[in-house]
Amino acid sequence: MTNAESQNVLLECKDLLVGYGEALPSVQIAFDFSLASGNVVALMGENGCGKSSLLKTFAGLLSPVAGEVSLEGKLLVEWSPRERAQEISLVRMSSAVPPRMSVCEFVRLGRSPYSGIFDSRTDEDNRIVEESMALLDVANFANRPIAELSDGERSRVFLAEAVAQQVKILLLDEPNAFLDIPRSHALFRLLKKIAVERQMGIVVSTHSVEYAERYCDRIMVVNGGAVRVAPAADARKTGLLNWTENYGHE
Amino acid sequence: MRRLLIGFIALVVLIVLLCVATLCFGAVNIPFSSVVQALFSPGADVSSNILWNLRIPRMIAAILAGASLAVSGLSLQTVFRNPLAGPFVLGISSGASLGVALALLAGIGFGSVGVLGSAALGALLVTLVVMFAATRFAQTGVLLIVGLLTGYFIDSIVSVLIAGNSSESLRVYVAWGMGSFGRVTLGDVWIFVVAVLVGLVMIGVSLRYLNAALLGDDFAHGLGLNVKRSKICVLLGASLLAGATTAFCGPVAFIGIAVPHLAYLLFKTTNHRVLLPGAALCGVALALLGGLFPASVPLNAVLSLVGVPVILWVLVRGSGARL
Repeated sequence: MTNAESQNVLLECKDLLVGYGEALPSVQIAFDFSLASGNVVALMGENGCGKSSLLKTFAGLLSPVAGEVSLEGKLLVEWSPRERAQEISLVRMSSAVPPRMSVCEFVRLGRSPYSGIFDSRTDEDNRIVEESMALLDVANFANRPIAELSDGERSRVFLAEAVAQQVKILLLDEPNAFLDIPRSHALFRLLKKIAVERQMGIVVSTHSVEYAERYCDRIMVVNGGAVRVAPAADARKTGLLNWTENYGHE
Repeated sequence: MRRLLIGFIALVVLIVLLCVATLCFGAVNIPFSSVVQALFSPGADVSSNILWNLRIPRMIAAILAGASLAVSGLSLQTVFRNPLAGPFVLGISSGASLGVALALLAGIGFGSVGVLGSAALGALLVTLVVMFAATRFAQTGVLLIVGLLTGYFIDSIVSVLIAGNSSESLRVYVAWGMGSFGRVTLGDVWIFVVAVLVGLVMIGVSLRYLNAALLGDDFAHGLGLNVKRSKICVLLGASLLAGATTAFCGPVAFIGIAVPHLAYLLFKTTNHRVLLPGAALCGVALALLGGLFPASVPLNAVLSLVGVPVILWVLVRGSGARL
């Protein structure tokens, strides 16, 4: 990590409890968390531990059970949905894609939070779309239907859409779930690169300890209703990853 | 961009030609010069009479119905993310039929405005049922089942009404059920125009939502859209369009479900900025074409006989078989 002065805190959580409904929140022990620009945080935990609800809460799509989330110093609930969409994007690779939509049309949707009532695009919008497609290396199949792409190509297209949205906070739900090993490495390298170059804060959920330790700055673990965060380099020393090998031994 | 330009110009030219044909041909053929004369200086002659009392209302009805059903079908297919959706499949047209049946057969209603009002009310009622289901169930499959079942239920009510009815009102209802553009008069066409304009505006202001809704409501929500409000706006607009058309022209099948696919094949885009006007123009062209056939042939039969083979051919032949 670079020195703290050059980083801005983008997202800040205080005493947060997360889940669907107050009866049984998936995160039961209140926690604090802050995400700074240029940072990539890996979000880990067993299936069903609440990773997705946590990401949704960060994105403002799910209200916290308790506590608060603020974006650039202002409570997330006080942002208008459109302004929020210019700051945060939650990318879910599992989204069903419409069979007829082309890559370019999909990436253009990223400019929707900036468009007027008739959903038109300015020259500036088109330039940003081209740039995002170039950055994610999807420009050479811009006119193909997304439904026909391979999983690796598709995940890059989803990322390009979020980049075109010009958000400061990128939340990714298991982006490497369908990717092979070389493409997963490439994806995580790319995440680190865009985080630094565009001063974005990224939270990425993954099941891979290897990618988390190697490419992410910090690791956030949801386990047994509690959330713990540690620098990726210290994750093993602090016992943050012990849960990954304990299954069936308890 | 060139594809769009050519597509729109071709459609507009086709529609103008079809409009001229609609005005010229019919039980009595009127030469083009007389049509022009009657249009700009209407007299008391037979041509002017036929033109202003029969053909112009019929032309306007076809234009409004074609555009309404196409736009209604396209927005329903997008919102429900289902290529089979349409005002018929979701039971909205059946709702309008029930309204008309109640007015004509059960005697509930007040003259011609009563028929219209009850048709719109019936369409709205079914839309409310579908919308209620939409808020309860996430899967669009359930919605289609709800719509289809509601449609069947309503058709049964209509059958019961028919069973106990006198021959005269029954004849009127059956004639209405065939679908026709010939029942609109210059006196009441303005109600149709206003209803269609309101419906088109409601859908037009939801363009951002329609484009994002292709990827589902979660995605649209993430793009900062008020999903609930937009969805209600689109559904109300779509049912207003379908309800008004059904009230004035009877249940016109086929355009609502097929034309959106035709528009896609023509313009090859999923962007509703292009697709909505494109589908509207395709719908207008098809409706005018269907309206050219003699009045003795039921409109629905013409539309399906002409339209189904064309669209099947295009779907099978073109690479657009993807739905």
